[in-house]
Amino acid sequence: MRNKLQMAFALSGLFFVAPVHAGDNIEGLARTCYGCHGTNGVSVGQSMPSIAGLSADYLKTVMMEWKSGARASANMTRLISGYTDEEIAGLATYFAKLPWTPVVQKASKDILAKGKEATERCESCHGATGGEPDDKDTPMLNGQWAKYLELELMKYRDEGFQMVHKKMIKNARKMEAGDIPTAAQYFGAQSK
Amino acid sequence: MSQINRRQFIKALAAATSVSALSVPTLAHAKAKARVIVIGGGYGGATAAKYVKLLDAGIEVTLIEPNAVYTSCPLSNEVISGHRDIKTLQMGYDGLKKRGVNVLQDLVLGVDRAKKVVTTQGGKKLDYDALVMSPGIEFHYNTIEGYSESLIEEIPHAWKAGEQTLILKKQLMAMPDGGKFVIVVPKGPFRCPPGPYERASLAASYFKHSGKTKCKVIIMDANDSHSKKGLFNQAWKAMYGWEKDGLGGNGMIEWVKGAEGGKVIKLDAKTKTVSSDFVDLKADVLNIIPAHKAGKIAVATDLAKADGWCKVVPMTMASAEDENIYTIGDSCVAGEMALYGNPNANFDMPKSAHIAMTQAKVAAAAIVAKINGLPTPQPYYANTCYSIVGDDYGFSVAHQYRVVDGTFKYIKEGSGVSPMAMPDKSPVPPIYRKLEAEYADGWLRNVMADAFG
Repeated sequence: MRNKLQMAFALSGLFFVAPVHAGDNIEGLARTCYGCHGTNGVSVGQSMPSIAGLSADYLKTVMMEWKSGARASANMTRLISGYTDEEIAGLATYFAKLPWTPVVQKASKDILAKGKEATERCESCHGATGGEPDDKDTPMLNGQWAKYLELELMKYRDEGFQMVHKKMIKNARKMEAGDIPTAAQYFGAQSK
Repeated sequence: MSQINRRQFIKALAAATSVSALSVPTLAHAKAKARVIVIGGGYGGATAAKYVKLLDAGIEVTLIEPNAVYTSCPLSNEVISGHRDIKTLQMGYDGLKKRGVNVLQDLVLGVDRAKKVVTTQGGKKLDYDALVMSPGIEFHYNTIEGYSESLIEEIPHAWKAGEQTLILKKQLMAMPDGGKFVIVVPKGPFRCPPGPYERASLAASYFKHSGKTKCKVIIMDANDSHSKKGLFNQAWKAMYGWEKDGLGGNGMIEWVKGAEGGKVIKLDAKTKTVSSDFVDLKADVLNIIPAHKAGKIAVATDLAKADGWCKVVPMTMASAEDENIYTIGDSCVAGEMALYGNPNANFDMPKSAHIAMTQAKVAAAAIVAKINGLPTPQPYYANTCYSIVGDDYGFSVAHQYRVVDGTFKYIKEGSGVSPMAMPDKSPVPPIYRKLEAEYADGWLRNVMADAFG
């Protein structure tokens, strides 16, 4: 059933899209993501992450983990199952090509000082401000929404929520509960 | 500045909304290559206007909407229950104006489809190459004896957000402990399929928190099942003492299906008593959601046929009746009508803001392609719809549709509701419900900005 469907898509895609540009298909598909992740993948909602400018490797890894069931999500596991692996790769490439647009959220000096301390363990992978990931598979955190980062840390710390990245799970669970919002606000306040 | 060529068009599509590339305004005196008129400034209409302009700045786009401010229906139930300020749901049209859309505050009286001319109450006659019809819904009060539009100040529908939302809120806040709040649900399809049940949940949440624990919420439903029923029942059981379908339970919420007396056919407005074939029910606060069909202008222009809804061409969202008019949003029916409980049903698209917006984007891309003599791009339709049922408790439904061989295809694999249980049958950890309650607000901010910003 599924293969037949994919074949039909491929055929209709060829017929309608190939004469223009193969990427047009992905562009149209990407626009359906804007509802939650913002126009062009730049979110204006605090609980929703910006996805424009994250690396293609990171985006693809996360989406494929949702699709395989290895990684939990409250809702993305459902949506992502409707896409072919090629579409997932296409979406990852599409959003990776857009610029990373930090939304700098103000934080007090006190929060910034405490946040700096609370995020020391994050530095080796994400960089001091969250803007210099060590690896193509590591997401940018600078100017990402603090609320979203807090919710992500909550997922990593909750034993009932199935996450994948062992190092992240270990480190998130080592953090003091009170440091979670501070760490999130620290990264949210960074422009670079 | 005349025709953009194929290469530029592809670039524009690829860059989509890249602001630097596409917010360049058309030269003031340059002649527009084509005119697009959008009727209705809700989520669908605003999105269509914005995306036509983004994809081809050389097209003149005019949005006609009678109101200066739009109030979002999504999450307006949180206003009714005192959880949200209505101001967080309101948007004007300055964002669209900045993008070069002409916004005309006026009401469309008629469309001459042969001449392709729109006439407004303000006396304007505007011609179009393509028309986007996104008028939303029109209420039909006559399905209940004794009910009419003149009663909506006393018996609010609160199904078009704004003043009505605040009237219902005020009535609920004033309702004493032990009072009955009755919600009357019309036969489907109606806009926001989970809306009545979310409303019941949030009202119960308000009663619980304000110490009015003897209050009841009774849903009189013309239908025999409803959206996200399993999830609502599970939440009602956990938070509001719900036991089972039907009248007379001990919980705060009761739901009566159509076949067992839920279908209201008569109203005594003076005593706020509603009647079905089985029961008379006197309410302290009464909320009747009237039956609805496609907006008045869609009917007047003969685009909504016998069943009251507009049929569309799946590839483009063009009306099945007129290739120059695109009928999007709540006024259209796309796919087969939903049949709850049938796992193989090729579901009709729900009447939601999110679906209206993906329909608008499909229509915008199809219009721009047609004007530029290019092939129709492959369309994609998607929906995410959150319901909030209590503190830190939300869930969602997702829908995806594609077009295969010219017909809508519901993509079951990419759709469905939040889980009722984990794969090993254990209960869903609370973090799932909390996350979705948080995501609902993030979703709201993004859909509002994607449509109006």
